[in-house]
Amino acid sequence: MAARSFSPPPCGEGSGVGVVPQGTVVEQLTDPPPRPSPSRDRVCAGFGHSIERSKSATADFDRGKGERIPAKAGIGLRFQHHQVVLDVGPDVAWMEVHTENYMGGGTPLRYLDAIRRDYPISLHGVGLSLGSAEGLDAAHLERIRRVAGRVEPALMSEHIAWSIANGTYLADLLPLPMTEEALDAVCRHVDQVQNHMKRRILVENPSTYLRFRHSTIPEWEFMAAVAARTGCGILCDVNNIYVSAHNHGWDASTYLAALPPAAIGEIHLAGHSVRSLPGGGTLRIDDHGSHVIAEVWALYGQALARFGPVPTLIEWDTDVPPLDVLLGEADHAGALLASAEREARNADAA
Amino acid sequence: MPTLLELQRAMRASLVDRNDGPAAAMLAQNVPADRLNIYRNTFVTGVTKALRLSYPAIHRLVADDFFAGAADLFIAQHPPCAAYLDEYGADFPQFLRGFQPAAALEYLGDVARLEWAVNRAIHALDMEPLDLARLEALLPEDQARVCFVPHPSIALLRADYPVDVIWRGVLGGDDAALAAVDLKTGPVRLLVERGATGVEVSRLDAAAWRFAAALCEGKPLAEVLAEAGHTSVESQLAEHLAAGRFIDFRLAPCGAAAFTASSEAVL
Repeated sequence: MAARSFSPPPCGEGSGVGVVPQGTVVEQLTDPPPRPSPSRDRVCAGFGHSIERSKSATADFDRGKGERIPAKAGIGLRFQHHQVVLDVGPDVAWMEVHTENYMGGGTPLRYLDAIRRDYPISLHGVGLSLGSAEGLDAAHLERIRRVAGRVEPALMSEHIAWSIANGTYLADLLPLPMTEEALDAVCRHVDQVQNHMKRRILVENPSTYLRFRHSTIPEWEFMAAVAARTGCGILCDVNNIYVSAHNHGWDASTYLAALPPAAIGEIHLAGHSVRSLPGGGTLRIDDHGSHVIAEVWALYGQALARFGPVPTLIEWDTDVPPLDVLLGEADHAGALLASAEREARNADAA
Repeated sequence: MPTLLELQRAMRASLVDRNDGPAAAMLAQNVPADRLNIYRNTFVTGVTKALRLSYPAIHRLVADDFFAGAADLFIAQHPPCAAYLDEYGADFPQFLRGFQPAAALEYLGDVARLEWAVNRAIHALDMEPLDLARLEALLPEDQARVCFVPHPSIALLRADYPVDVIWRGVLGGDDAALAAVDLKTGPVRLLVERGATGVEVSRLDAAAWRFAAALCEGKPLAEVLAEAGHTSVESQLAEHLAAGRFIDFRLAPCGAAAFTASSEAVL
């Protein structure tokens, strides 16, 4: 028997009981550590929780019609926080979920339906593989459209990465060669997604651990070009910029300075880990499993100075902590956003 | 210069087939080839985790190391083909049945089949149950031709071992129940479905199971009733309908309707 603790199932009633265990999945990691996305949250088969919000219906959003994510701090919503969010109605401006975790029916969608009444939701996809040479998976695109139809998200986003080759899903956000061919493929697919969804999407800059020898375009120019050619927005992951800049010897400020402020629709912040390399030096691994570090907060400050206040998300996907820890991180981001807001107003007044 | 397709196939060969050569040759000069391990590790641990979430009882029965080893082999032979991992792992029960190191646990494959049915039930799309007024509006001769479409969460499972007891015992940590399991009690017939409060696994007797299975296969109602031929079918059909186990029906071609009278009596 594995020495893992599961919550016990409820007592049986008659012949049928739901007994899929519930609980945080704690990864036992070996070297090298895994990366956070794409995640797969544990679905519980249901323990008779009635999915009703306890928070009063203060926010009455016009779902999907002009609703926007405010330029405030939000948190990534994971399954283990579904019930506590409904119970306490935390003071946070918005939430983001991984689209792939809501593609079935049953409990997850019912939670999201309920949470959706009080918070604007952003759908963040981790599996569309915008950079696939073989084209998009039409069935997956359709699954995303179905989730969007039910959730009516205020934002939708995907990654500048690829995950599928030879019909195999490689369960990671893999790095693209920074070439004209890859740029064409990504732009073609962003166009396809925006046409299919009949809306603009955001694309997120990756964190990477390797580069290809035939790359010719700096990643920051690649990001700006995708936005310019397709009209999509950019989800600027400040932690990813910090991680990749460290890993590849780039200058993070140069990266930020190359991104078009008007295209920035959202910022991501997360923690990462540091791994020692055999020959000396370190590699930073984007595992979303800890607090945002001071250097990333500082880079976030630079980003806000350049872009103005932008909706900002705290992501935490491995070793997910209690909700309060996430809210604490969101408060910190919120304070920086508020001061960026004041500076923007002062600049306007001057 | 490799094309995007060549690069992606080289990376696939590295991650899935552990053939690093082609991908390593494409890396920038100061990037060591062992960076590919990071991506391979994420692939294997991510997909293993997906399997573990779909097969929690198997995981507990064989423990971490054994599960990881089995998953490793399985993933190499059956890598996922779509980014929707909740649908990944349908072939795992069959794989376990032929997995020599697990041969001593002869019930493992059947427990896995039950877990896959439970996993499908958990993730099945939300569907409205059949509106019974649509059935009532049919002429009696048409009622005989009704072929039901089951709710996507429903599975009817026959296993050689008492897998429902094993599954509950394992996930509930009920060692007493597990100790009392007698593997020689003969086959069990199970109905798996998602109810209002979660996934339910119920035992049916042989006749009730055959009746439910025939209905869920979409056989014409008159034919199913004739085959069943026992007295409790009326109440069983009423229960299936009341429980919302069907979401739709179609009508079989007219020639198939030979038992109008019996279906009329039931509906």
